Amino acid sequence: MYKYDHIDQTLVDQRVAQFRDQVARRLDGTLAEEEFRPLRLQNGLYHQRHAYMLRVAIPYGLFNSKQLRTMALISEKYDRGYGHFTTRQNIQYNWVTLEDTPDILAELATVEMHAIQTSGNCIRNITSDAFAGVAGDEYVDPRPICELLRQWSTLHPEFAHLPRKFKFAINGAKEDRTILLCHDVGIELKKNAQGELLADIYAGGGMGRTPILGSLIKTGLPWQLLPSYLTALLRVYNRFGRRDNLYKARIKILVKALSPEEFARQVEGEWLHIKEGDDNFTQAEWDRVAKHFTKPAYKDLPALTTDQVIAGASQADQAAFARWLGRNVKPHQVPGYASVILSLKPHGSVAPGDATTAQMYAIADLSDQYSFGELRATHEQNLVLADVEQAKLYELWQEAKKQKVALPNVGLLTDIIACPGGDFCSLANAKSLPIAKAIQERFDDLDYLFDLGDISLNISGCINSCGHHHVGNIGVLGVDKDGEEWYQITLGGEQGNDAAIGKVIGPSFYADEIPDVITNIINTYVQDRKDDESFIQAYRRLGVTPFKEAAYKNAKKKEKAAQVSGEDAS
Amino acid sequence: MSQTNTPSSNTIAAHDQVLHFPKGSKPSLAPNVWLIWSGSQDEGGLPDLEHGPANITKVLVPFSWWVQHHNESDIAAKAKEGKIGVWFAADEDILKHEQLIEVGKTVWPVVAAHFPIFRDGRSFSTAALLRDRFQWQGEIRAIGDVLIDQLLQGARVGFDSFALRPDQNTDVALKQFDLFSVTTQNSWRGLRTTRASLSA
Repeated sequence: MYKYDHIDQTLVDQRVAQFRDQVARRLDGTLAEEEFRPLRLQNGLYHQRHAYMLRVAIPYGLFNSKQLRTMALISEKYDRGYGHFTTRQNIQYNWVTLEDTPDILAELATVEMHAIQTSGNCIRNITSDAFAGVAGDEYVDPRPICELLRQWSTLHPEFAHLPRKFKFAINGAKEDRTILLCHDVGIELKKNAQGELLADIYAGGGMGRTPILGSLIKTGLPWQLLPSYLTALLRVYNRFGRRDNLYKARIKILVKALSPEEFARQVEGEWLHIKEGDDNFTQAEWDRVAKHFTKPAYKDLPALTTDQVIAGASQADQAAFARWLGRNVKPHQVPGYASVILSLKPHGSVAPGDATTAQMYAIADLSDQYSFGELRATHEQNLVLADVEQAKLYELWQEAKKQKVALPNVGLLTDIIACPGGDFCSLANAKSLPIAKAIQERFDDLDYLFDLGDISLNISGCINSCGHHHVGNIGVLGVDKDGEEWYQITLGGEQGNDAAIGKVIGPSFYADEIPDVITNIINTYVQDRKDDESFIQAYRRLGVTPFKEAAYKNAKKKEKAAQVSGEDAS
Repeated sequence: MSQTNTPSSNTIAAHDQVLHFPKGSKPSLAPNVWLIWSGSQDEGGLPDLEHGPANITKVLVPFSWWVQHHNESDIAAKAKEGKIGVWFAADEDILKHEQLIEVGKTVWPVVAAHFPIFRDGRSFSTAALLRDRFQWQGEIRAIGDVLIDQLLQGARVGFDSFALRPDQNTDVALKQFDLFSVTTQNSWRGLRTTRASLSA
């Protein structure tokens, strides 16, 4: 993985010093809270419901065991014994103090980590495929581009105060695991017949209160020209994005208002003036970065069939182990290896994506032992050991079970994506975590979950949709109505290549109704599905009506969903 | 703290010292001689500089006002003496006034770009365009809600002088430009360190 050179290290160290001074000025009162706010946000520091929350960047989701141990140390020393992995491949601490934050950042800097631009109206941490570099369906390893753009966007002066936050995702595989079209800018990498690396650019996607899928605005951009093209794109947005209304300030609103064609034309017009020149990446820069993304020292191993792998387990374990292999283990580019997803969604968990200090230390050890000391954070809030020898999967499974990260629920109904909701977030209209827990407890039968197959359930505590409810097959959105917490259901959302925004089925429900509502929706699927149809396939064939009727059959009240409000936090 | 431009309905407040940071030189402070006129009460034409504070001898006028009035003989005469500069509002689309700006380049001693509030970054792009597209070589001043923590970004996009908000501490401000010795993207001040350190 990428290793800082003296430039990266100097920049991160100097950034810590800068923020330390800003905090000192805040504490001595010379910097007003209102003026400090954008500064702290650009360093990932939120003021939450109960305390400060620090969001630490994990660029494109890739990290190593040493870094994880530092994350664990921070959770122990400065927080309450856990960290929360987010949908955008960051980690958050919910209970830090303002005074400690510079020390935490200094600690992070010792392991090449930071919290730069994990929040605020600037270019956020760039996300990518958690299986980058190892996925069987990959045609371009996106990581060198991710890293080059991480550097390019870090403390970019012109785009330090954009109209709103700005999120990049980068994909280079056949299957999109980045929800590319739900980002302000999605970069799809590919190679042409001559083997040249090119980028297709999608712009104007996003969730929040106005969910829109991004539009293709540029095809076949040579990778070297990414900085000048993205400068042009961001310059158009910076100059013409709406600043009069917080809710209309995202680039998606500008792209929609102008039309994708007109937006692309304006970007092109600006780009013409800057496309030649020093902004662009050079081969030397590529070489410096790309050398860190070479393959680890894989052994020459025979590829094993699943049956052979299962045969390595004891008789008593074989059924459970096979389940885990089926759900949590993914194919690898290299024979004899596999990628393993450690589930951070044990049933009845406090919060999807949480890892305790002890778990973090233990998982760091597992990565050293089984996966070259590297890890990845996924969009679904799980962790990945990307390079595990097939022959060691059984051993790893046994170790992972001890840490309670071996539940074979990846991709199943209880692999819930959820934001921290009203338990922590000051923007939330309703709680997310108790809803997630109640659903996990209701659907605690693994046989049944396996029978249901692939299905995504995403929960957001407010319209800002940090829990990405719009792209869940089943989405749950917390809404406030006259001071009460209500929950609105969307169906038909989907991430991946067939990305779709779910549709609201009707009036919202009380919290205690939700497990029954989900049960009724699921029962309808089980009743009406054909052959091997997944939930989303059945939904697309049957339409919303049978699901909607089932959802409301026991509803206590059928009232209109509340008008929702709040600022976009994620 | 004394102020050059007392906040009033027709001026934009600024610190009594301007922070100058020319390319290739060290940052320094100098008295502010420019009145930043908002143009909001223009029935009487330009503000009367003769009877104001003695140190104020020149005026920055809104670019939109310049568009309307630059052909008037008294304005042209004052401009010829180097006493008029323009400032661009954050929502000014300078690319629509290419010709006027090309002519202005021969007249204005200084141009400015306005920050209506510190967290409005449009003027960063204005400055970048003035440097890159218009090849403006003269001074570009940041005016309006200019706070200490914007100086670094401003200096890198093309600003080389800063009319700080009157309450800002100039000692802290002067130190901002030394915070980083490396950069990871190009700016008006130079090539990114990550590139400069490698052969092209």
